Amino acid sequence: MTLSRRGLLTGALGLSAAALAACGKDDDSSSSSTEGADAKTLTLWHYEGPTSAMGIAWAKAIEIFKTKHPGVEVKFEEKSFEQIQQNAQMILNSDSAPDILEYNKGNATAGLLSKQGLLTDLSDEATKRGWDKKLSSSLQTTAKYDEDGIMGSGKFFGVPNYGEYVMVYYNKTMFDKYKIAVPTTLAEFTAAMDTFVQNKVVPLAVGGAEYPAQQIFYELALSKADRAFVDDYQLYKNKVDFNGPVISYGATTFAEWVSKGYIAKNSAGIKAEDMGVSWEQGKFPILISGSWWYGRFAKEVKNFEWGTFLFPGNTLHPGSSGNLWVVPEKSKAKALAYDFIDITMSAEVQNLLGNNGGVPVAADASAITDAKNKELIENFNKLVTGDGLAFYPDWPAPGYYDVMVAATQGLINGSKTPQAFQDEIAKPYNENLADLGK
Amino acid sequence: MTLTATRASTSRTPERVSLRERHPARFFILALLLVLLLLIVAPLLVVAINAVKSPADYAANGPLALPHHLYWQGIVDFWNRANFGLKLWNSFITSIVVAVLGVILSVFNAYALGIGRVKGRLWFLVFFLIANLLPQEVLVYPLYYLSKQVGLYDSLWSVIIIFTVIQSAFGTYLLTSVYTEFPKELLEAAAIDGAGKWRSLWRVVVPVSRPTLAVLFTFFFIWTWNEFFLPLIFLISNDNQTVPVALGVLQGDRMMDATTTSASALIGIIPAMIFFLIFQRTLTRGIAAGAIK
Repeated sequence: MTLSRRGLLTGALGLSAAALAACGKDDDSSSSSTEGADAKTLTLWHYEGPTSAMGIAWAKAIEIFKTKHPGVEVKFEEKSFEQIQQNAQMILNSDSAPDILEYNKGNATAGLLSKQGLLTDLSDEATKRGWDKKLSSSLQTTAKYDEDGIMGSGKFFGVPNYGEYVMVYYNKTMFDKYKIAVPTTLAEFTAAMDTFVQNKVVPLAVGGAEYPAQQIFYELALSKADRAFVDDYQLYKNKVDFNGPVISYGATTFAEWVSKGYIAKNSAGIKAEDMGVSWEQGKFPILISGSWWYGRFAKEVKNFEWGTFLFPGNTLHPGSSGNLWVVPEKSKAKALAYDFIDITMSAEVQNLLGNNGGVPVAADASAITDAKNKELIENFNKLVTGDGLAFYPDWPAPGYYDVMVAATQGLINGSKTPQAFQDEIAKPYNENLADLGK
Repeated sequence: MTLTATRASTSRTPERVSLRERHPARFFILALLLVLLLLIVAPLLVVAINAVKSPADYAANGPLALPHHLYWQGIVDFWNRANFGLKLWNSFITSIVVAVLGVILSVFNAYALGIGRVKGRLWFLVFFLIANLLPQEVLVYPLYYLSKQVGLYDSLWSVIIIFTVIQSAFGTYLLTSVYTEFPKELLEAAAIDGAGKWRSLWRVVVPVSRPTLAVLFTFFFIWTWNEFFLPLIFLISNDNQTVPVALGVLQGDRMMDATTTSASALIGIIPAMIFFLIFQRTLTRGIAAGAIK
C-alpha cells in the first residue's frame, strides 16, 4: 500500500510542479541585507542526527548565534529527510516556512525551488561575506543555479557547509593477512583483488540495489575522463558519446570485475545499508563508497583495523558539496539567517565539523586533531584543489537514479552486455537533453 | 476467533472430537500453521531484537544475531530526541476524535441511505465508493490549498477533518449495506410505539447495530493511527506531528541508523497493538455477528 502510494506521489508531485511554479513566482521582493534584522525569532530546520558531525557542529553554531544575538529566540526543529524532500515546495509556499533550512542540492530540488522563486538569492551576501572565496569552484557548482534551475552557473541559492566524496575503505587486518600493500595504481589495485580472489575471498562489498554500484561504474569511467567530460555529462556543455572511450571503458571494466569475481553476482540485490554492515563485519576487505560512512565506521568498527585511500590512479572522483543552507523567500528573518550561515562557515564551526568525522568545506587541516579525520579532510582538500569532484552519475536527468540502478544490476547479474548497458543509460539522458532543448 | 472456534468444537459430540484429534492431517496442518505464524511474526521479532542491540553489536554481528546484552539506550535516545510522549498524545487525540466523528457521520449517512432510502441512493453509494478508492495523492494539492485558505495548514484539525471524511466514506458504504438489511418489523414496531425518525435512530437502529459500529470504531482508530502520507504533508511543526511522521526523523539522506530505527518502530507499533488487543474481542464479536440478528 505504502509503496504504491509513494510511486503515485512522484507522479502527482511532478504534475503539480507546474501549477506550483505559477504560484511561486514572486520576484518583486527587495532582498536587502538588513531585511528582517529586527526579527525576534529565527526558525531553523535541518535533518542531521544530533550525534553526526553536522549535528554537533550546527548545535555549536546555534550556541554562537545566541551569544551574538541575545534578544533572538532560535526555534530549532529536527526534520526528517523525507518530509523536507517531499514537502519543501508546499511548506516554503506557505506561512509555515522556516527562516532558514538545510535543503538538498541538485537540479530537481534546490534548482527547481530557485526557479519557482521560493528561495532567496544569496549572491550579494556570498561576495560581501566572502563565502565565494571559501568555496572552491567545484563546490560552488551545486550552490549556484541559473534561471532554468540548472546548477553550475547563475546565482547563489545555497551555501554548503560540508563536502562528500567517494573513496576506498579497506580492512587493514585482511590486507595484512594476505600481505597486500595499499595500492597506488589501478593495476596494483586489481592485483590486490586478484590475490583475494585466489584466496577465495570476494574483495568488494557492493550494494547493487542502490547507489553504490553505479558509483563504482562512474569511478571506473572517470579513470579515463577529464574535466571536459564531466562538464559535458553533468552540465550539458557538449553532447556525451555513450559509446565513447570513457563510458565504454567504465562499462566493460565493471563487467570484467564481475566476471573476475571481484564483485559477487548476488550483490545485485544488496542494499547500501547491508553492504556497509557486511563490510563492518569483516566479510569483505574493500568497500568503495562515500565519506558519509566515515563517522559511522569510526564509531562502530571494533573488530579490525581499517583505513581509506582515494581510488587509485584517478584524478576525478564522485563527490560534491553536501546539502545546502537555503533561505526561503518567505523567511521573516533573512538578515539573521545570513548571520547564521556566516557562523557555520567560521573556522571554529568548520573545525568542529572536521573533528567529528565530517568533511568541512573551509577547515584548517592543521586544526584537526584526530589523525584519521585529518587524513579524510586532507584527501578532500587534495581533491578540491585539484578540481577533482565529478558529482554523481545519476544527477544529469530526473529519474536517472533508477535507470542507473537497473542498468548496473544487469551488469552484475550478467543479464546485460556492456553495450546494452551503454544503450540503456544513453536513452533517458538524451531524452532529458531534448526536454531541456539542448 | 480461535476462542469461539474451540468452544464450538467442544460442544460437538464426543466421538467426532476424538476422530478429529487422531487424524494425522491435523498435525500436518498444525505444523503448517506454526510455520506460517513464524513467517508472519519474524519481521516483528527482528525489529524487537535489533531494538535492544547496541550499534557496535549490530555492526559486528549483523541484524539477525541475538544481542549480547540488552541495550535500552536506543529507545531512550529516540524517545527524548523525538519528544515521543507528545507525538503519542497527538496521534491518540487525532485517532480517537476521527474514530468517534467518523462513526457518527457514517451512522447519519447510512441511516438516510440505507433505512431512509433517499432518492438516488445508489449514486450516493457509488460516489462514496469512488471517494474511497481515490488515492490520497490526488487529494493532496486541493487539500493543501484549501487548508491554507482556512488557516488550518500545520494544524491537527486539518488531519482530523480530512480523515473523518475519508473514514466515514468507507463507513457509510459499509453501514448502508448493513442497514438495507435492517429488519422492517423493528422499525415498524417503533413507529407504532410513537417513535419519530430521530428516536428510532438512537433507540433502535444504533443499539441493534452496536457490534458493527464498534468494529468501525476500532478500524478507524487503527487506520488513522497508522496514516503517514497526509500527516506528513499537513503537520509541519514538530509539535504537531503524529507517531508515524516522527519515526521518519531517523531516516537520513544516505544513512540509516538501524538499531535506533528498530527501537522507534517498536515503540511506534506498541500503542496500536495494545489498542488492538483491548478491542480484539469487539472485533471478533462484530464480525461474527455479521449484521443484525
